[in-house]
Amino acid sequence: MSDGFNFTIKDYEGSFKPTWCPGCGNFSQWRAIRQALIELELPPEEVVAVSGIGCSSHMPNFLNVYGLQTVHGRGIPVATGIRLANPHLTVLVYGGDGDVYGIGGNHFLHACRRNVDIITVVSNNFVYGLTTGQASATTPVGTITRTTPRGSIENPLNPITVAISAGATFVARAFSGDLKHLSYVIKEAIDHRGFAFVDVFSPCITFNKNQTFNYFRERVYKLEDADHDKEDYFAALDLSNQRFIKDKLPIGIFYQIEHKTTYEERDFSLNQGIIPAQADLELTDEQIDAITKEFY
Amino acid sequence: MKKDVVVRFVGSAGDGLVSLGTLFGRILKKHNLNVLGFRSYQSVIRGGYNTYQIRASQDEVLSVGEEADIIVLLNKHVAKLHKPAVNKGAKIIYDSEVIDLDEFEYPSDIVKLEIPLASITKEISKLKILKNIVGFGAIIQILGLDETLTKEVIFEQFGRKGEEVVFTNYEALEKGEKFAQENNWPIVWEKHKYEKAQQMLISGNEALALGMISAGLKFYSGYPMTPATSIVHYLTKHLPKLGMIVKQTEDELAAVGMAIGAAYTGARSATGTSGGGFSLMTELIGMAGIEEIPLVVINSQRAGPSTGMATKTAQADLFQVYGASQGEFPKVIIAPCSPEESFLVGIEAIEIAEKYQVVVIILMDLYLSEQIATIKDLELKRKNTRFGIESNPKSKFVRYKITKNGVSPRTIPGTLNGMHFTGSSERNEEGTSLASTLAGLPDTLPIREAMVEKRMRKLDFVLKELPEPEFFGPANAEITFVTWGSTKNIVKEAILELKSDGIEANHLHLKYLNPFHTERVTNLLEKTSKTICVEQNFTGQMSDYLRMKTGISVDAYLRRWDGEPITTTQVVEKAKEVIGNE
Repeated sequence: MSDGFNFTIKDYEGSFKPTWCPGCGNFSQWRAIRQALIELELPPEEVVAVSGIGCSSHMPNFLNVYGLQTVHGRGIPVATGIRLANPHLTVLVYGGDGDVYGIGGNHFLHACRRNVDIITVVSNNFVYGLTTGQASATTPVGTITRTTPRGSIENPLNPITVAISAGATFVARAFSGDLKHLSYVIKEAIDHRGFAFVDVFSPCITFNKNQTFNYFRERVYKLEDADHDKEDYFAALDLSNQRFIKDKLPIGIFYQIEHKTTYEERDFSLNQGIIPAQADLELTDEQIDAITKEFY
Repeated sequence: MKKDVVVRFVGSAGDGLVSLGTLFGRILKKHNLNVLGFRSYQSVIRGGYNTYQIRASQDEVLSVGEEADIIVLLNKHVAKLHKPAVNKGAKIIYDSEVIDLDEFEYPSDIVKLEIPLASITKEISKLKILKNIVGFGAIIQILGLDETLTKEVIFEQFGRKGEEVVFTNYEALEKGEKFAQENNWPIVWEKHKYEKAQQMLISGNEALALGMISAGLKFYSGYPMTPATSIVHYLTKHLPKLGMIVKQTEDELAAVGMAIGAAYTGARSATGTSGGGFSLMTELIGMAGIEEIPLVVINSQRAGPSTGMATKTAQADLFQVYGASQGEFPKVIIAPCSPEESFLVGIEAIEIAEKYQVVVIILMDLYLSEQIATIKDLELKRKNTRFGIESNPKSKFVRYKITKNGVSPRTIPGTLNGMHFTGSSERNEEGTSLASTLAGLPDTLPIREAMVEKRMRKLDFVLKELPEPEFFGPANAEITFVTWGSTKNIVKEAILELKSDGIEANHLHLKYLNPFHTERVTNLLEKTSKTICVEQNFTGQMSDYLRMKTGISVDAYLRRWDGEPITTTQVVEKAKEVIGNE
């Protein structure tokens, strides 16, 4: 850590304490996000945490950064607007499986292909928690919830496969039960140039009796320990489907490429270092001539 | 000499009707004439039946007019379809090698002006498109327009394609003039000396965009939807010179979401759509309301509901925007009436949004967005001082401080010590959400009350800044017209016509729809004799709105909902009918 950067984990903690159920998987993400920001030496005023609606989306309430909670599913587009208005900011989207994969699914797809340099962390608990236990886009077939009392009949979405296919340049998975690894993955995601996505297995201890901490502890293994080339697109896709094959659940970075240009690098204005949020608002005579010429 | 002239081009999509109409509009503009043009079209890319009508006058042009002096038929298909719309005395220009008007039994009280466009064009070049310029040559001849000024426009249009192209076009123009002259085509306007003009020819949407740019717009996001799309087109074309972001998004949820994100970050931002897209934006508009983020949303209305008639005009979204989003929050609604006013409203909307940290909705409509009009002068140079942005807070920042006018200082991300939480839930002054654990606790009840009051109070202060509604004409007139948005000038024209028939009418025009000048409007309406509310919808939304705001019911209505703009004749006839009923 360099001189002059003396923020501690407490400095990133909001004045309002988390309201999640004791034992909720979100707590370790709350910790991991702050840990990653410190390790990357990102001061609180340069970070914007954006969320939608859901238990996990309460996160920005509990952080001492610029926090913006939107409506259900709209964290990604609002975060995109923030980043495009000021590309010097670190913009982190945080939400749940209902928020990002369900109601906000379209934005998720387009964020992957658009490659704006924002980070999306999804607390995936396979259930709607805040509305007291309904099936979500990732709920496995056969799961009994309050809206699927005879077992879910829909196939779940595989967010890792979707993200890789849609063109995301950083695709990872982590587990709330492994704080150290979670912090590492989130740190790598923030550090990545381009759109970074992390799906976090984060058990809901109240409404999900299937995907529990123990369930994941028995199944996860780290890609960092396996012989996986994260730049290999097809290997990443293959791995992303592994749960259906061996009931083994890889965590870590599935896919990461650095050579793809970001949206900011391709954008005509941002590419020239313009910061729309701080730009001069008075038009020059040359600008006025250029934009009105066609009307004369 | 008659004061004005109406020229109507009739063609199919793919005939280049828009470029034709715009180019002809520019020729008229160059002659220092006032011009208004409007295209009536269908939602097809090729084929169909479209018209582009242009009216020019030395006086103010208030509508595109009804009866055409000159009708140009561009193909056989439309020649057949246009027959019922042809008025007595119209001079009909058409290519005699393509169209045989006798085949369609056109009425005998018209003047047929045949011109072998294809043959004349062939003499000059292989380029078939030149036939349009040959046609223009014939038209400027009978309109007595100036050849040199017309050539200037041609040069401006084709100059970048090289000298040869320019000269070929000049030749085409001259051939057309000569043909009309040699064949003794009847003169519509006598030749006279025109002064070269420095004026703009601009559409409602372009003028609106220009206004927002002039006010410091730095971020615009949108999803394509007629008739709002041309705003994105114009901004995208010029963004390299402006250093701004223009973003086409995956849907209107993202369009408004990104605009909100950028606005929160400090960029002056706007988004635009039509009613369908506005429906999708609605939830986030409420969020911008409670989060007190400055946001400008344009709704250019078209005929609904649902897909409705995508290329036809309407004023039927008043209640949609008034009621947009659940709950109560301050919302400013402004409806401009002309391209010139759209420019001014663009500036005003951006400023009010930032100054009061509110949502401002600009209610356009297809007729206004797509009409082109001449404007003498627009002042684009502005200082654009920022409002309410705290750049150097000392300690823990209180974002939602309760103030007299309801506006709290804000910090934008990147500002040291400015961190705070902004949520879509109700909050206390520090920004902490009341929803999670505090809602309903005895301590929080007054906080909720105060926060709602704080936000709503802004409207009282906005109202004080807004000019009062315009009222034209003698106070004791027998008829009072009430209009809002784009129907204003049509009614203005009708009032002049009524006056020449000896009928006095006055006119209340509503531009600021929310907050509303209730007292002023009530006072005015209490004194009128017969009130007629003119609007482009079926249910009479403004009549209902007036009753809701003032308790006064208007006496009569003129409503049109077939998708075409209300005509001056309809207004005049309505007034006569209402007087006759007395």
